[in-house]
Amino acid sequence: MSSVVSRGTRAPSLRLAIIFTTLVIAVAMSSLWGLSVGAFPLSFQVVINSLLDLDGPQQTYMVMVSRLPRLVLALLCGAALAISGVIIQGIVRNPLASPKIIGINSGAAFAVCLLLALLPQVALVHMPLIAALGGALAAFLVLVGAQFRGVSPLRLALVGVAVGMLFDSGVDFYLVANHSPEQAAPMVWLTGSLWARSWEHVDAVWALLCVLIIVGYGLTHQLDLIGLGDDMATSLGQRVALTRLLLLGIATLLASISVGVVGVLGFVGLMAPHMAAQLVGGRARVQLPCAALLGMLLVILADAVGRAIAPPIEVSAGVLTALFGAPFFVLLMLKNRGDLQQ
Amino acid sequence: MGNRRFLSSLAAAGFALLSLGGIAQARDVQHELGTTNVPDEPKRIVVLEFSFIDSLAAVGVAPVGLTDDNKPERITEQYRAIIGNDFVSVGTRKSPSLEMIASLQPDLIIADKTRHSSAYKSLSAIAPTIVLDSLTGDYHSALEQAQVIGDAIGKSEEMKARVAAHTARFESVKANVANAKKEGRTFQFGVVSSRGLYLHAPHSYNGSLLMALGLPLSLSAEGAGVSYESAYVKTSLEQLSEINPGVLLLGRYSENTVTDQWKDEPLYKAVTAVKEEQVYYVSGHNWARLRGIVASELTFDELEAALAKVAEKTGK
Amino acid sequence: MARASIKLLVLLGALLATAVLSLHVGGRADVGISQFFSLLSNSGERTLQELVMLDIRMPRTVVAILTGINLAIAGVILQAITRNALASPSILGINQGAALGMTLAVLLPSVFVVGVEAMAIIGALLAGTLTFGFSGGFRGSIRPLPLVLSGVAVGAFSFAMVRFTFTLDDEVARDVILWTTGDISGVRWHDTTALSLWAFGGILAAMLIAHKLNLLAMGEAAAQGVGADPRKTLLIGAVIAAGLTGVSVATAGPMAFVGLVVPHLCRIVVGADHRRLLPAAAVGGAVLLLFADGLSKLVVAPEEVPVGVIAALIGAPYFVYQALFSKELDL
Repeated sequence: MSSVVSRGTRAPSLRLAIIFTTLVIAVAMSSLWGLSVGAFPLSFQVVINSLLDLDGPQQTYMVMVSRLPRLVLALLCGAALAISGVIIQGIVRNPLASPKIIGINSGAAFAVCLLLALLPQVALVHMPLIAALGGALAAFLVLVGAQFRGVSPLRLALVGVAVGMLFDSGVDFYLVANHSPEQAAPMVWLTGSLWARSWEHVDAVWALLCVLIIVGYGLTHQLDLIGLGDDMATSLGQRVALTRLLLLGIATLLASISVGVVGVLGFVGLMAPHMAAQLVGGRARVQLPCAALLGMLLVILADAVGRAIAPPIEVSAGVLTALFGAPFFVLLMLKNRGDLQQ
Repeated sequence: MGNRRFLSSLAAAGFALLSLGGIAQARDVQHELGTTNVPDEPKRIVVLEFSFIDSLAAVGVAPVGLTDDNKPERITEQYRAIIGNDFVSVGTRKSPSLEMIASLQPDLIIADKTRHSSAYKSLSAIAPTIVLDSLTGDYHSALEQAQVIGDAIGKSEEMKARVAAHTARFESVKANVANAKKEGRTFQFGVVSSRGLYLHAPHSYNGSLLMALGLPLSLSAEGAGVSYESAYVKTSLEQLSEINPGVLLLGRYSENTVTDQWKDEPLYKAVTAVKEEQVYYVSGHNWARLRGIVASELTFDELEAALAKVAEKTGK
Repeated sequence: MARASIKLLVLLGALLATAVLSLHVGGRADVGISQFFSLLSNSGERTLQELVMLDIRMPRTVVAILTGINLAIAGVILQAITRNALASPSILGINQGAALGMTLAVLLPSVFVVGVEAMAIIGALLAGTLTFGFSGGFRGSIRPLPLVLSGVAVGAFSFAMVRFTFTLDDEVARDVILWTTGDISGVRWHDTTALSLWAFGGILAAMLIAHKLNLLAMGEAAAQGVGADPRKTLLIGAVIAAGLTGVSVATAGPMAFVGLVVPHLCRIVVGADHRRLLPAAAVGGAVLLLFADGLSKLVVAPEEVPVGVIAALIGAPYFVYQALFSKELDL
């Protein structure tokens, strides 16, 4: 038995090692590229000098103050969104699910609009917090609502979509009742961009996100059990309802904190988990870190391309992740017809 | 509330000048988001709204960087005549490129409250930043902001003189308005695009400017007893006929506008301004996007031309 | 039979009441429903108030009625041919796709030269087809979960693009918001031609295949058992639904929830027989949009809100309720 297992896993473990090494290198390379491009392009030499405080030409402001915090946020939020996606896809048991389906994005946008409408004088430095709270609150409503009827994946998705659409219509009402989108200028914050993000934002979220990511990784076994189906999981000794709630809570926090600090980066939470499943299979223990790396890669590239494409204009990273996602999605439909049906 | 803050900042700046006796030294400028220590006579200034360009131009100072929304024609020739062409575009007013700003190594940044509050800390990390309410402010606050900018760049006296000259011009226009034959007409400014007509309400920049000049605004609260919450009111043809302006000043934002589409409709023809041929097309850009001393003097020119025509047609 | 006629009376009463509401309120306080009647009796010179009623209020009300009819019929047909109570423009991402098409046309008029209306139809069709494809619609039955999730994904893509315009010019953002929220404040009689032709033809064609829709809704096997070719009905149904949705979106912009909520409510009232469901849904759709149109002129008077936003604000809570409590959706 053990020989069978070891023979069965040796080749994949080499494969896994190669995949993970490649991904880590890709993340590192794209990070370096991300630090070098922008309205003010720098050579790799200058970037490295500045990072390591070496002799030679440096651009400390560009690298350390402007781009490095954005990069760190891209890494953190890319991983957070991807992990959130893995958890939600695991629970809904469908590779088309994403953090958006529990209403986080719409809740965040609605909270910001409500803030602007009710307290127009309030300091906008609190906006990320308000957005994160709004997202978490919407997700909480969805989870409670779905729980209340006994969670089935369809019920969760439906309630999530319905609550999301309700908040979206609230946002639309705010936008049109004002007739002045310029007064909704703070909404630009939520369009999925890393514009004007600084170390202050990194300080606010890094510890929390790291803890959540670690806890999420610790629960991968439970996630795999849920994937087997409620009955199977229960027979294996899992308290399904409780575990599911815990996992959804973590996914909610990861995604809403990300939305609060970088806005809506669509498709990361959808694409990264799916690509990871293709590369390393659906076991959460390997899928989750792989998805996290892919999520990082996607967000870094989206941010860097957005800065490099037409300076001094920045194209929102959210648009680019959506654009990356579109062909991926069509490919998914053409190639993997059976998967989506489950 | 905004007024009081600006007055107090004016007083503070004046007091600082007096007590220092003109000794070159950094000064504190009070603004929407707090107090910022600004170097004496900053040389490299970056501005992130059109009205701030206006204030610099008013006292002959050229910014090193500005936001032109990536459309160079938005910095009009009147400004270029004063500030030249040696500035760098740092992108759009909504999300200017912080890296472009930093690369200019400014010693003062002037930002807008609505648009740039969320980036205040990032901007402050580049250079001393003051934040003023250009976007939602009215005509009076634009003049106050000009003086704050004058104080911040060490040109208090020049700005006071410029504002005084502007006020003289304003008063003469106001006198013209008072003497002009208006025959009880109400006036209204709006912009038209292919999608809609937006009238500028009393508390918008242009609304407050026309009111200050003593022109009865068609949208003004007195009258129908309705008040407009928005600064810009999207107006359907039916609402326009209810508001019924006596003189309509329109800024075009596109080639084929809704007012062109309405021109054969009986209801549009029944609007007083249309019926009596009192619709005047003015520069939408100068009126609606630009603000401040120089811009409002361009507005005065077009307004006086329109008033002359109003009088001429009324005289017949 | 007596109960059926009571239901009919209630529906027609609601139609009448909301039509009066929609005609009665508006920007000019001196124009109301009385002008409608004086128009009928007065054959001489028309007053300005009567012209407002004739040229502005009436076409707008008619557009609201026709859009409501078209979207509700399209919803009923879509739900029958997919055998899925969730199939509707808002869930399938069709509205969001239309919004994306319009946004592209506003943003890059030199690239998308066909115009905003045509781009709305193209976007809507593309989005609907994609959602259909992702959820396995081209291979037979559509299961609800993949349908919802595909709709969300397609919608999210469009959403990212539409919201991106917020970071661009103020004027562009303003135009995009107006196009994509279902604003009918500028419609005139010439906007009603295509809508009414499609509404008339759509109801007629749908009534002709109503029996087959019944069979299809029961399941393909049953349909084949009585000798109907389900593929033909499916194709005809899809073409009608696409045309009805497209013409509505092009004239009035995206209207969420009409195609979802109205068929569902009507099914509760008149049952699942399409011969009764179709006319009931047509009236129901008209009532919903007329009511929304009336409200859209009242909520922030004297200003107006696009009717699509009001329809969404009415429809969304019902959808939440439906998602929480409906057994029908728990397939």
